[in-house]
Amino acid sequence: MATVEEPRTFIRPDGKEKVTGTGRYTADLVLTGELVAKFRYADHTHARITRIDVTKARALPGVLAVVTHEDVPDVLYGGLVKDRRLFARDTVRFEGDVIAAVAATTAAIAEQAAALIEVDYEPLPVVTDFEAALAGDATLVHPAWEGYDGAESLGRHHNTLGYTAIVKGDADAALASADVVVKGRYVTDPVQGVPIEPRAVIAQWQGDKVTVWTSTQVPYAARGGVAHVLQMPESHVRIIVPLLGGGFGAKCDFHFEGHVAALARAARRPVKLVFSRREEFFAVGHRREGMVIEFESGARSDGTLVARKARLVLDKGAYCGEGGFFSEMAAMHALGPYELENVNIQSSLVYSNNQPSSSIRAPTAPQVCWALEQHMDELASALGMDPIDLRRKTLIETGSVTATGQVLEQIAMKETLEKAVELIGYGQELPEDEAIGVAVGWWPCFAANSGAYVKLNPDGTGTIITGAQENGTGSVMAMPAYVAAELGMQPEDFSMLYQDTDAAPYDMGSCGSQTTFNSGRAVIAAACDLRDQLLDAAAEQLEASRDDLEFVSGSILVKGSPDKSVTIAELAGDGTFHGKGAGELPFAPEALAEGCVGQSGLEAFHAPQLIAHAVRIRVDRDTGVVRVLQVAAAHDCGTILNRMGADGQVYGGVVMGIGQALSERTQLDAEGRHLNAHLTDYKLVTASDAPQIDIAWIETDTLNAGPKGSKGVGEPPCVPTAGAVANAIAHVIGARVHQLPMTPERVWKAGQ
Amino acid sequence: MKVAATLSVNGFTYPVELDPGTNLLAAVRDVIGLTGSKEGCDDSECGACMMLLDGQPVNACSYLALQAQGSEITTVEGLADGDTLAPLQVAFLELGGVQCGFCTPGMLISATALLADNPSPTEDDVRIGLSGNLCRCTGYDGIVKAVLSVAGSA
Repeated sequence: MATVEEPRTFIRPDGKEKVTGTGRYTADLVLTGELVAKFRYADHTHARITRIDVTKARALPGVLAVVTHEDVPDVLYGGLVKDRRLFARDTVRFEGDVIAAVAATTAAIAEQAAALIEVDYEPLPVVTDFEAALAGDATLVHPAWEGYDGAESLGRHHNTLGYTAIVKGDADAALASADVVVKGRYVTDPVQGVPIEPRAVIAQWQGDKVTVWTSTQVPYAARGGVAHVLQMPESHVRIIVPLLGGGFGAKCDFHFEGHVAALARAARRPVKLVFSRREEFFAVGHRREGMVIEFESGARSDGTLVARKARLVLDKGAYCGEGGFFSEMAAMHALGPYELENVNIQSSLVYSNNQPSSSIRAPTAPQVCWALEQHMDELASALGMDPIDLRRKTLIETGSVTATGQVLEQIAMKETLEKAVELIGYGQELPEDEAIGVAVGWWPCFAANSGAYVKLNPDGTGTIITGAQENGTGSVMAMPAYVAAELGMQPEDFSMLYQDTDAAPYDMGSCGSQTTFNSGRAVIAAACDLRDQLLDAAAEQLEASRDDLEFVSGSILVKGSPDKSVTIAELAGDGTFHGKGAGELPFAPEALAEGCVGQSGLEAFHAPQLIAHAVRIRVDRDTGVVRVLQVAAAHDCGTILNRMGADGQVYGGVVMGIGQALSERTQLDAEGRHLNAHLTDYKLVTASDAPQIDIAWIETDTLNAGPKGSKGVGEPPCVPTAGAVANAIAHVIGARVHQLPMTPERVWKAGQ
Repeated sequence: MKVAATLSVNGFTYPVELDPGTNLLAAVRDVIGLTGSKEGCDDSECGACMMLLDGQPVNACSYLALQAQGSEITTVEGLADGDTLAPLQVAFLELGGVQCGFCTPGMLISATALLADNPSPTEDDVRIGLSGNLCRCTGYDGIVKAVLSVAGSA
């Protein structure tokens, strides 16, 4: 175990085009003859559609196509449950349901045509209270749920899309005999991903094949989605992602590529869709869901956690999307990185007529962690223990067995806690309006297949061909360095062909913090394959044994005979060298998971990443305004391959976490419509709000980690920040804030 | 009804025909064809469209293009000297000020204006000066460090 101290600098290969403005994002592209797309959205959040008439819209001069459900195959799509149509047919279920799409010569004409579409409805009772939607007599958001194609393991029932229970021992009996019992109920508002680039999609058909340029985090999922909803071969769909202006999960999943491809086919012209900021808020099928979280924990007087009960209700919104696994993910975060003797966690993912929730950076974790870490501090208080001492006593460590029966290997949970506490100066004397709060969390790695090629060019340079998607983090940009290291070359010697589904093998995309873990493994394997081929060729040419050869500065030398060498350029000019690889998937962790239902593969956390954040804050008691002054963030993400890139994830993730803690929330009206779908009232953290952030990496050597012992990095940094802020607030005001975000009004009220 | 106008962008003069309601961002991106400046909100909330008008930063999405006649307009494409990057551009790359890059053009423009106005800013000056530009990736750390590093060397 080692602590990474020195930054290793790294200039991203896509950096120059980004600082000069010459790089092209999707909305920057223009195709000859392209039309503008606009959508007609639902006029109600829950209603039966009785009539759709597009006659007037189609007759408007300048309109080349109007597309509804009648113009595309009648198929349902979605992730673990297929519950959605591209265009609403009988029912609209949330504000952003698309009824029709228009392609016209100008944006103004397209907007006018969309407004001319006549839609009649019979309004239905609107389900916005997702906790009430659990009741047996609640209005069903999907009356036909039983007929949907959906994963058996989800435990679907009525409005419940997913149900997970994690049971170990007898929590009730343990609570009855505990020395101390603490209960709490916490409620969170929905939060948005808010990439600064609103999404854009362009589709162009050539014969029966379509090319789609799109701002997606998951090009291969987009390809599969277009093929499915238009019922065409996947090989006839090519997805190209120009530069991607951030995602944060909000651009995961397939969605609008299908609408635009259908429009372009109908119009027989290229069609471009560019979202307004308002659409980027309300129309996307991705947001961090609101939750109701109830905890009850019991401890012995020495702090040992004898029992934890939890009841979680998650607002799925109108459709499954790729968030079908959230009930289990939330349940795992209700366990948290703690040793627990008895457990009973019940987690329900519930349909409503609110915007669909799906992945936003570390989905479900920040909300549950915020509640759990407050709950742990409350328990410490009831025990008369320092909250850090309670965590020292109860956190997982190497060899711990989790509540689902997973034996944890090589983790540095307690070490990250100690480092964060040290960096923040825990225990120091502070002004009475300041306090320090601490929270911890965890997050799994996701092992998935990926494939890559590395080819050698005649001039001795190379090209990496990967399906990996660069969403801005730099995880793809770091790949030339990994390949160069295998071949004794420089990162600058490698160009990249990426973000084109016709070029590279399948890749899961920029989600699950998995790019280095999986795509990086494939690229390194391809480089090693190429290395083997070059060694064979050099051994023959130099009449030497392979074992005597080494790669040095773009050449292969015979060790001890510096005059016997061949340059990689010379070898490249003679051959058509290309390596390919996928690498071996690291072994999956085992969990007995006895007594657990509703499993979607998360009951054991693969090579978990461990996180401890400590924050120092100031509260203005008169106004409830909280300012975060300092953050210490300590992470175990295994080996850090690119310090500057990894640090960048922590700086950004912590600041996102502070936004979630204090200001970010989507407000909905009584019918589930957005009230603040713009950046004035949806308040992001600005440069002048952002605090000093000190970062520490505790490197562990986990057997089933990714390449070179690395684990994921991108999602964990936003997991425990809100919990740490909450605990600090409670220290200042002497009361708990039970709603997230902890706005000035809520903090002020709690302090009264 | 389109109106003939002349816009001067990054030292070049462009004759254009514009609807009177066209904003400066749309004129520069769609009519002139310089797409470095970005539209993130169309409401002066995010700062991705920031341009300099005679050295003063404006949100181009909320500024009428015809009002920019007679002013020298600078976009992100005008910051480098040929192939030589401006010190701010280099510092953004070296100090982690760039991730997805979508806020970068506006950030660089705001930072350029800030340093022209105040060559020796404190960290607070930089943070307040850039608070009209939203970044979701970097937590602002690399951006603030980059601006301060250039100020220090000036």
